[in-house]
Amino acid sequence: MCDTLERLMNCIESGKINKLSPFPASLKGQDGADELCKLALDEGINPQVILNQALIPGMSKIGEKFSQGKAFVPEMLISAKAMTAAMKHLKPFFATGEIKRNGVFVIGTVMGDLHDIGKNIVSMTIEGAGWEVIDLGVDVKPEKFMEVIDKYPDCVVGLSALLTTTMANMEVVVKEIKSKYADKVILVGSAPLSQDFCKKIGASFYSPDPQGAVEYLKKVAA
Amino acid sequence: MGYTEESLPAMINEEIDEVFESGNDLWNIAGGYSITESINLDKSNFSILLDNVEFDIHNVIFQQIRKSNIIAIFACTAGKRITDKSKEFMKDGDLLKGYVYDLFGSIVVESAMDLIQNSLQKEMAALGLKITNRFSPGYCGWEVAEQKKLFSLLPEHFCGIELTDSCLMQPTKSVSGIIGIGESVKYNGCTCNICDASNCLYKNLKYQ
Ligand code: B12
Repeated sequence: MCDTLERLMNCIESGKINKLSPFPASLKGQDGADELCKLALDEGINPQVILNQALIPGMSKIGEKFSQGKAFVPEMLISAKAMTAAMKHLKPFFATGEIKRNGVFVIGTVMGDLHDIGKNIVSMTIEGAGWEVIDLGVDVKPEKFMEVIDKYPDCVVGLSALLTTTMANMEVVVKEIKSKYADKVILVGSAPLSQDFCKKIGASFYSPDPQGAVEYLKKVAA
Repeated sequence: MGYTEESLPAMINEEIDEVFESGNDLWNIAGGYSITESINLDKSNFSILLDNVEFDIHNVIFQQIRKSNIIAIFACTAGKRITDKSKEFMKDGDLLKGYVYDLFGSIVVESAMDLIQNSLQKEMAALGLKITNRFSPGYCGWEVAEQKKLFSLLPEHFCGIELTDSCLMQPTKSVSGIIGIGESVKYNGCTCNICDASNCLYKNLKYQ
């Protein structure tokens, strides 16, 4: 891999946002994800290659550390910020279709529930894995999910809920979606959930952490 | 967050310091308890009747409070502003700051509740009584949905906390539950060994 891409990947993994970011100390004063992504484009590197060979692997590395318990939520969030700084330069290529993403991921916290930190982390991790993420926010009614799925019929859906009381609403959403889109891939997650619950409500996959979802989505996209 | 003192990255440490300094005027703590002596414990189904309202508290909590003669029903909140601030940062793309504010709110409400519990303990000790740990709906098999009944025993809009239809307390950074009081009840340093939640962030943490 060329030097610029390698450095860019490291910046994503270590959360070095731009030249001014003081952390990590070993990269102090050096270019960050922001500058390096621009440099890579200036060097003529194909934007799709930048996404696939630097940004996605950078996020994937931090995601793996997270699921192994070697990194925690804050590091994921800093990496995501570095990723966003780099993505800013790639945005125009998404619009022209020069960069293709893996697919569309529609996520929301179900009706009755207002928790969003966990969902936000899942959103940015999946975006970091090369998906276009449509985040519907919190307290999302089944009708809203349907409206957006109708617009993106090939999308994958993600549902979040933090309490056992609102978890029950996941079943309502899954039923509604499956009645129209029987094969729709639906991911569920959050602290009180389990594999058994996922199976019981007819969702496709349960993951206790975002990285598990990313691994599953790789299979879906393949 | 999961870090040990040594493994906490400098960048995150700095962020925590900043939030904890600037967060001081963001909380709006309110909390308290209501005492009831009208209690009736039913061992056959691990339930407790408080002011004629029945609670299915399940085995684990039942065993801890079964020797109580009095029950304190509590609720406490850190207020709405911390959560608003957290959401603001999240929306603006500063996810880390948003997260640290969120965590800060959780710490504030739990610490405030510790103070309330300490003062209850002192008050009761003066009467020759002891207190148990605090127990919340949503833990150890006690359904979150039973919060509806719990709040029915507290004055309306108690401490500015509202319960949604799905039993979510608003403001988000709020807690509710019961504490047992009696001559022969026990306070256990750590109840993690009797709770079956395997994914609880607090599991054994506070007491290490
Ligand atoms: C901090 C905390 C609190 C704080 C703050 C709560 C808040 N909402 O901000 C305080 C102390 C206020 C609190 C209060 C209560 N809490 Co609380 N709390 C927690 C705790 C310890 C951490 C939650 C958290 O912030 N996690 C960090 C975020 C980043 O993680 P996350 O949201 O789970 O998301 C991650 C994964 O789940 C996953 N994920 C999430 N969504 C999705 C979606 C998809 C598709 C995928 C793939 C993955 C995924 O990825 C995310 C990133 O890793 C959990 C226990 C735990 N281990 O999670 C209990 C927990 C959520 N609380 C619980 C309960 C019961 C309560 C109370 C009802 C107790 C009470 N009666 O007082 C109240 C309710 C508060 C309210 N407003 O109504 C229960 C809920 C279970 C249940 N029985 O319903 C839990 C699970 C604890 C337990 N018993 O095991 N709580």
